[in-house]
Parts: sequence; C-alpha cells; structure tokens
Amino acid sequence: MADVDFNIKEEMKKPHLLTGGTFACAGCNPVLGIRLTLIALGRNVIMVNSSGCMTLTATWPFTPYRIPWVHGAIENGGSVAAGILMGLKALKKDKDTHVVVYAGDGATYDIGLQSLSGMIHRREKIIYICYNNCQFANTGHQCTSATEKYARTTTTPPPIGNPLPRKNMAKMMAMGGADYCATACVSFPFDFIRKLRKAAKVEGSVFIDLLSPCEPGWLVKPHETIKSGKLMVESGMWPLYEIEKKKITINHKPEMIPVKEALKIQGRFKHLTEEQIGEIQETVIKEWERITNGRFWEAEEY
Amino acid sequence: MIDILDGNACAAWGARRAKVQCVPVFPITPTTEIIETIAAWKADGKFPGEFVVLESEHSAASACLGASMTGARTFSATSSQGLLLMHEMLPIISGCRTPMVLTTVSRCLSAPIGLWPDHNDTLAMRDAGWIMLICETNQEVLDSVIMAYRISENPKILLPVIVNMDGFVHSYTRTEVDVPEQKLVDKFLSHPELEVRLDVKKPMTLGIPAMGLDYMRYRQQLHKAMLDSFDVVDNVQKAWAKVTGRKYEFLDEYKTKDAKAVIVMIGANSTIARSAVDKMRKKGKKVGLLRIRLFRPFPEKQLRKALEKIDNIAVIDQNICPGMGGILYPEVKMALSGCKNVVCNYIQGLGGNFVSEDDYVDILNDVLKAKADDRKWQM
Ligand SMILES: Cc1ncc(C[n+]2csc(CCOP(=O)(O)OP(=O)(O)O)c2C)c(N)n1
Ligand SMILES: [Mg+2]
Repeated sequence: MADVDFNIKEEMKKPHLLTGGTFACAGCNPVLGIRLTLIALGRNVIMVNSSGCMTLTATWPFTPYRIPWVHGAIENGGSVAAGILMGLKALKKDKDTHVVVYAGDGATYDIGLQSLSGMIHRREKIIYICYNNCQFANTGHQCTSATEKYARTTTTPPPIGNPLPRKNMAKMMAMGGADYCATACVSFPFDFIRKLRKAAKVEGSVFIDLLSPCEPGWLVKPHETIKSGKLMVESGMWPLYEIEKKKITINHKPEMIPVKEALKIQGRFKHLTEEQIGEIQETVIKEWERITNGRFWEAEEY
Repeated sequence: MIDILDGNACAAWGARRAKVQCVPVFPITPTTEIIETIAAWKADGKFPGEFVVLESEHSAASACLGASMTGARTFSATSSQGLLLMHEMLPIISGCRTPMVLTTVSRCLSAPIGLWPDHNDTLAMRDAGWIMLICETNQEVLDSVIMAYRISENPKILLPVIVNMDGFVHSYTRTEVDVPEQKLVDKFLSHPELEVRLDVKKPMTLGIPAMGLDYMRYRQQLHKAMLDSFDVVDNVQKAWAKVTGRKYEFLDEYKTKDAKAVIVMIGANSTIARSAVDKMRKKGKKVGLLRIRLFRPFPEKQLRKALEKIDNIAVIDQNICPGMGGILYPEVKMALSGCKNVVCNYIQGLGGNFVSEDDYVDILNDVLKAKADDRKWQM
C-alpha cells in the first residue's frame, strides 16, 4: 500500500525532533534509530525509554527531545506505556497520539520480557521498538539473551565467548499475539521507516526488533557501525522480515555473503576459530532455508 | 448514604467518589475485592474510568506512573509481596512528583507465608517519598482516599499518597459507614491540571538522570515537599471535617491529657487498645492511647508535644525489623530525645496473631511499673 501522504525527503527537511547534543558515543546507532523513528512518526509521539544507554540522551538540565519523553525503569517499558495509554484514553487523547517504547535488548529480551509480553497479550495500541545492540551496553557490554553465539562480551570473555544462541524475539512476540511484528536494522533506514509507517496504522500491539550496532560494544570503528549492520543483514545473520497474522514476508533478499565477512570487522568476534565461524555459517544457512521454505514457525534446533 | 461495608469496599468507594480515571492493578489477598468491586462497577457501567489488570504489581505500579503522568487521576491497591514487588517503582513515582493514591491492605511478609495482617509491608515503604496515612476504621479508609487526592494533587505538593488499612481486620470486616454523596465530594475535590505531564502539545522530558549536586537538589526538594505537606494535610482534614463532621488529625489522642502511661501505635488494633484504656480508666488508672495516623511526613514535633509529659510510654510494633526491633519505636524515641520518659517497646500481633483487650491491659500495667526503657515481645 503506497504511503501517499509521506515524502521522506520532505520529512528530512523539517527540524529534527531529536536534536543534536546527546551524550551518545560517536557512531551510536541506537540514537540514529530514535531519529528515524521520529522522522517516520512525527510529533504526536510519547516515547517511553527503559534504562539503558538511551536514558543518558537527556541529562538534567539538557534534553535533545522535541517530543514528550519519559524514562521509568529498566524492566517496564511495556507497562509504563500501557499506563500512558490508559491515561490518554481516560482523557480522550489517545486517537491522535502514538505511544512508543524505545528499549534496549537487555531491557526487552531479558529483564523486561514480562511487561512486554503483557502489553502484547493485551493488544495494547503501542509500538514497542527494541534497539538491539546485542548486549547490556550501558553497564559495560555484558551478555544478554540477544547476544550472538560466541560473541565476546565482558561476561562471556574469550576463548569461548557466549555459549548460547540468542532468542528469536520477533517470533516469540508474533506467537504471543503482536498484531504487527518486524525485524529491522538502522543500516536500512527506508525499510525501518516504512515499517514504522505501517505500524502507526495498526490497531493493536507492534513489536519491532531494530538491530543497532554499538561502536564500543561491537568493537567497530565509529564510521563502520552502519557498515557492520549492513554486513549482518547481507550475510543473513539478521534477516529483515515482517509478520502479520502469522504470515511472514521477507523485506530484503540478502546477498548471503559469507558470515566471515560480517564477523571480520567486529572486534567482538576476533577470537573465533574457523570451526566456530563454520558453525555460525551453517546455522545462518539453515535459518534462512527455514524462513524461505515456510518452516519459520517450527521449533528451532539448539 | 449509610451502608454496612468492609474496608475493601470503602477503598473502592473512596476511589469511585474521587472519580478516579485510571486503575491499573494486580490481585493479591487481602486486597483483591477492591479491584473486583471496581471491575464489577466497570462491567455495570457505573465506573467510567480505565481499568486494566496488568501482569504483575511491578507493572501495575509502572502503569500508575505512566497513567498519572498524562494527568489522569490514578488509583491502585496492593498488599504484602505485591507491595514489595512495587517497591522499585515507588521512589520513581514520588521522585517524578507524580500524584496518585495507593491503598495498601497490610498483610505479613513471606517467609513463612501468612495471610494475616502486620505492618512490615507498608512500613517498608517509609523511605519511598510517599505521604502515608494509616487508618483505624473503615470509615477512615474511605474518607482518607478522598482526602488523599486533594493532598496529592496540590500543586505545591505533588506527592503520591499511601492510604493503609489492615488486611482482614479492615478489609473483610463490615462496619457501618457513611458513603458521602457524590455532590459533596465533587465540591470538596477539584482536579487541578498537572503542569508537568506527558502531552504532545507541550513536550517535556521526564524521569531523566541528574548528576552531582543536581541529584541532591532533587532529593532535597522532595524532602521539602514532604515537610510542606504537613500544612496541606492539616487543611484538607479540617476542610473534610467541615463538610462531613468527621475530624481527623495527624495524631489521634485518646485520654492522654492527664495520663501517666500511654500506648503509642498504628492501625486497626488501636480500637482494641482503646477499650483497654477505658477498662483501666474505670479502675482509676490514668492511661491513654496515641494513634499515629500521619506516618509520613513524620509529625515529630506534634508527637513530642503530645508525649513529653507522659511518664511511661508503651510503643506497640506490629512489625519486626530483625536485628533492630520494632520500626515505630526508634521513631518515637527520636521525637522524645532528651525527654525523661520511660519508653518501652512491645512487639505483638505479627502475622495477624490475635491480640485482646487484656493484652493491652497487661502492657499498660507492665509499662506503668517500668523504671527504664525495655524491649519485649508479647506472644
Ligand atoms: C533493576 C535494574 N537492574 C539493573 C540495572 C542496571 N542497568 C542499567 S542500564 C542496563 C543495561 C541495559 O541494557 P539494554 O537494555 O540492552 O540497553 P543498552 O544499555 O544496551 O542501551 C542495566 C543492566 C537497572 N538500571 N535496573
Ligand atoms: Mg543493549
């Protein structure tokens, strides 16, 4: 469906709703994700943040936000948002306002899974975006259940790295009742914006898992964070798809470059053996086959 | 309207008369009937507000933060483990200066699991930056919920309020209660617009970090608002007395004026202690009771004034801080620092263990004889 009243070039010319001057690192992709979110959704957004790096975007007495924004705690993005929606409904202001959660992967996959799951189950009209940098970045880059297998974090140091594969969150949320569910990556801004435009029209709960490379966490150079995200997608390690009514649509056909190319520029995979890289490659190919051959909903192998 | 209502119904009626707009909740004994009552009203079309059962008390408290930040009048209720699960959110709600009312229906803490009341749940919230009103009767619960909104939403205060009752003794015990007419409450309770709120027409960044001295200034302002609320609570209680004839004070003093020995306590058991006082007065013993109703902010000065001339004081703690003793005791001692009274501490009624009139008679006789401070368990 064409998005007739939205011209991205025009939108980019408007004053940014996330202004400059945050405390984010050079090359921070989560912050870019906020900017893209606000380009897509506009002014009528109330944004809920869960504790993480993005909490430090505003520090008294400074704020980069031209929209209402609130940080509650780490594990409750879904429920703070649910409360805001209750309040807006009670005040009859819910029709023209988007309630958006912008929370990290640790806050989403781990400590806040309960409140997200409740929000999704109740079909709250909330857009939940997980900016996924695959680790607890703010506390110094520890392993979350969104961290890739074998990745180095400060709690999963080499030689082995993270022994566990990551959760498939988009799948879990789609099964849990999300009306619209998608993966996205900051390196593919138009895809992400299109998904948000779609999400804005959904009468129900939305979950978007936004891969957002992190310069100090992934051990990539600031100017290579976008590239590292691109390689994750093009290698098939982070497929871009959306799920509506349990139907999965692939939004970008990856080139399926060897995962080795994607891993190479990220210092957190530097310690990997050929064998480990081979295992990752095999898993990626298998997963891609499952997605493309209608077996997405089958239980995953461990 | 005179009715026979239990404490849970009173809390629900308080919320209904206050026309609360958002009720995020999660069930727990002995609170559940509050939310069931509101759910039934909602189903019958008698409650126009938003009612959502969340997936935990932590989420219910989080939703309270969100709902109240939009400017909607917000109410919730919980007990025991539920209150402890909410605990993380309570200083966030007060720190964000978000007005709301939470009814806590006291129940002892696990482990071991118990269903019956003591005050360890609610008193554990004493440092959370919430105004705390601790009730003795069902009527007081209903009245306090309504008054609490006028206190909480006062633009000079903007602090959340806990209205506490005892599980079972209040929550499941019916007594005669006057449910004030809606017109009366509407006149008593306006709804001032929240200036700092989440509103796309007026973007603000809330709940942000503040570092160094800025942090300390925030905390100092919170403390100041707490202290400023003494006057507001006082005025609201007087205004309520004017329209209903029901008078409430920070401290509820009973036959203390000429007393030689006084019991200091909180909560529902005060009613039993009151009749013990009467019994002893009949025998010519000069004894009295002081019930602390406003627990936060702590009315230290008023407490000192009320107690400084009393020779022997029995502080009853229906709670235990293991390794320290009763929670009220050191607070009362602090209020009396430098005074010459003998102040004894009695731990009783944990897990709702039954206490009788005679138990209080025993305590009063014991404290009358006391020559020095002492700490005891009555069981
Ligand atoms: C209850 C609680 N536990 C732990 C923390 C510490 N903490 C703050 S931010 C954070 C990391 C969050 O990770 P994620 O959600 O992935 O966001 P990121 O830091 O990567 O931006 C943690 C663990 C906290 N704030 N609250
Ligand atoms: Mg993270």
